Amino acid sequence: MNRFPLLLTSIFLTLPLQAQEDEFQTVITPAFSPVTWERLVNAESEPENWMMYSGTLDSQRYSRLDQINTNNVTELEMKWSYQIPVIDRAETVPTVVDGIMFITEAPSNLTAVDARTGRVYWRYDHELPEDLRICCGRNNRGVAILGETLFMSTLDAHLVAIDARTGNVLWDVEVADYEAGYSKTAAPLIVKDKVVTGIAGGEFGIRGFIDAYDPVTGELEWRTYAIPGPGEPGNDSWSGDSWKTGGAATWITGSYDPDLNLIYWGTGNPGPDWNGDVRLGDNLYSDSALALNGDTGEIAWHFQFTPHDVHDYDSIQVPILADIEYQGSTRKVMMWANRNAFFYTIDRETGEFLEGEAYASQTWAQGLDPNGRPIRVPGMAPTYEGILVSPPIVGATNWYSPGYSQQTGLFYVTSFDGEQEFFKRDEDYEEGERFTGGGGRYNQPMDAFHSSIRAINPATAEIEWEFPIMPRSSAGITTTAGGIVFTGSADGYFFALDAASGEELWHISLGARVHAAPMTYAIDGQQFVTIASGNVVYTFGLKND
Amino acid sequence: MGNLTAQLGSLATLMFSGLFFATSGSLAEDAGNLYNTNFDINAGLRYFERQCSRCHGFDAKGNDETGAPDLTGRLTRASSEVGIFNIIRTGIPGTAMLPAASDLPDAQVWQLVAYISSLSTDPANIDLPGSVANGARLFTNKGACDSCHMIGGQGGRQGPDLSRAGERRSPEELLSDILNPHTDVAPRWWTMRVTDKNGVVREGLRMNEDSFSLRIMDDDANLWSYPKNQIASFERIEASTMPSYTQTLSDSEVDDLVAYLFSLRKES
Repeated sequence: MNRFPLLLTSIFLTLPLQAQEDEFQTVITPAFSPVTWERLVNAESEPENWMMYSGTLDSQRYSRLDQINTNNVTELEMKWSYQIPVIDRAETVPTVVDGIMFITEAPSNLTAVDARTGRVYWRYDHELPEDLRICCGRNNRGVAILGETLFMSTLDAHLVAIDARTGNVLWDVEVADYEAGYSKTAAPLIVKDKVVTGIAGGEFGIRGFIDAYDPVTGELEWRTYAIPGPGEPGNDSWSGDSWKTGGAATWITGSYDPDLNLIYWGTGNPGPDWNGDVRLGDNLYSDSALALNGDTGEIAWHFQFTPHDVHDYDSIQVPILADIEYQGSTRKVMMWANRNAFFYTIDRETGEFLEGEAYASQTWAQGLDPNGRPIRVPGMAPTYEGILVSPPIVGATNWYSPGYSQQTGLFYVTSFDGEQEFFKRDEDYEEGERFTGGGGRYNQPMDAFHSSIRAINPATAEIEWEFPIMPRSSAGITTTAGGIVFTGSADGYFFALDAASGEELWHISLGARVHAAPMTYAIDGQQFVTIASGNVVYTFGLKND
Repeated sequence: MGNLTAQLGSLATLMFSGLFFATSGSLAEDAGNLYNTNFDINAGLRYFERQCSRCHGFDAKGNDETGAPDLTGRLTRASSEVGIFNIIRTGIPGTAMLPAASDLPDAQVWQLVAYISSLSTDPANIDLPGSVANGARLFTNKGACDSCHMIGGQGGRQGPDLSRAGERRSPEELLSDILNPHTDVAPRWWTMRVTDKNGVVREGLRMNEDSFSLRIMDDDANLWSYPKNQIASFERIEASTMPSYTQTLSDSEVDDLVAYLFSLRKES
């Protein structure tokens, strides 16, 4: 394995800027070396690379790079930009391996660029049928890599393996039938020798699942349904046959703990979204965190955040894993700011609920009981006439990644304080048609609501600080050893906050909404930070002189 | 107001009776939509709520985040019902506007067209009680609306340009705007009161506010821009600067003004 870039980074991060400047005169393209499972497990120790959607398997989005820090972040300048040729919003988190950046694009394309210059090596355009069934835009959020192969989800519910050196297709398998409403937008997750991937389509009456594929052949190794079948525990939490069309899509990338050999993955809303009358019961495992055996996919435990959800409070947020001090001892926890406006700290070995509090405006629950189950406010279910509920359908947060800093021990989330009128409708399931049972309507202009970045102490679930931004941000968060929280905003800013205090350190207007999360990497001793805004990918670094 | 309210009630009846479509637009195009009864519009509404509202909103007013346009006013991509039909049938390539399912019968697409058409108001089908000519005079004389609003490049800057008001607002909405201006104020017309670090206070219309800065226009049309981290404080006033005309104009004068404003559109 060629670890040359790691060595360079280690050396040059400790040298004065002048020495780095000399190094920038070289134009040597870094060698690309295969990404072994060992490298992925130890991704934190090669911070010059960003080798998966959430940076590391624990999904903290915390980088050890500290060249850009609280003292010099004001010296950032744009190094390059890459204009995605398809005009659409970019929700991508690029992956960087040894100086090569892989950028997914709408609708289901992939480009490899030189991470130092943004210039293209190759691109792959996935051919799509014209009659896609997608609920919420033509998105793709990133790739996974193992060895020299990239794995990408596509809107027609395929999983594609692509040669990282050339962009050639190695295999292309159908994960599910797009004509029945299945689609795929999230980056897969590599777990040992398997490609683990979820499914989207929760607005089409699908039955959600999590799959594992052989990275060489594309063969399905195991499938775990997010809704139990007849005879399985939890199937009786659905009235009648409603489990068959119950949704519980698994549409965002999960996390993995190598020591516990557990995969953690969120599940989406039960279907139909806003009419629970046709699916009485808790509707397991919708709106849940699932812990799956890393070899077999067997469910080790589950934690349902919103039983019998009728507000579309998907629980597909990225699970953040960390070992924290909790009531006098070190606990292996999972942290989760949910779309339902509650923050949870959960023991990730057992699924035991430890802490939970509302972190954003909400009117649907009085609080959480000692087991973390919500205590509902009566009469807040959608009606035919409409009823005002907070958070709105888009939630107090959503799919965009939260972050965690090992320096501060704080959890960071992009939050939204809003409300919406929820409506219920009667609908029959028809394959391939939307199956939502209602919808929502804002009764105030968006600017009347509030978004903010909130820092939460996972040991207490209390908010430590917040930084207000204009609504409604859908940008993710990345933290660094430089003491920084990087994120973006709905009004087109990319900015840096002090991770400890929440104070504004730096901002730049990129001119278009940020739908993506930042990521950071280094080449030859220079740290870069990258963010997509509109349909452009921007990369920043410190000024060289 | 009694006259206009009654007329608007009749208008609603007319629209939902289907006559609205039978008499609108060019003959060649209208021959396309035979599904324009009240039943069809409601069927279109049900389809819209199920298939379209996720992007366009349950009220069809669009969504900046998804980029789905407001369908309740003038449509930018279709000028006829045939145009709407074609967009639903074929989608808009390169965007999230996908074609309707290929096995969806034409009849259902036309019902959806009927619903979307019902969201905007065709002036040819409306007989308002007021006088357009009188309304035009009121606008500049007694009402002094032009002290704040421009029409055709003439008038003030302290309110929305009304040159095409009839395309954006129904007579009912215009009536509400005149009598209850604080009911539905767009954020662009909120007021911001800014106190800088020297204690100087400036107040003006909220031209734009973002996460890190804001821009206002004061009463003298001066434009001011402030980084939020360099001011002491700012306050939003989410009310309109426009007075209610309940006490200023008679019922018939308000009818005239509504008739005039509703007549303002591109072709006029």
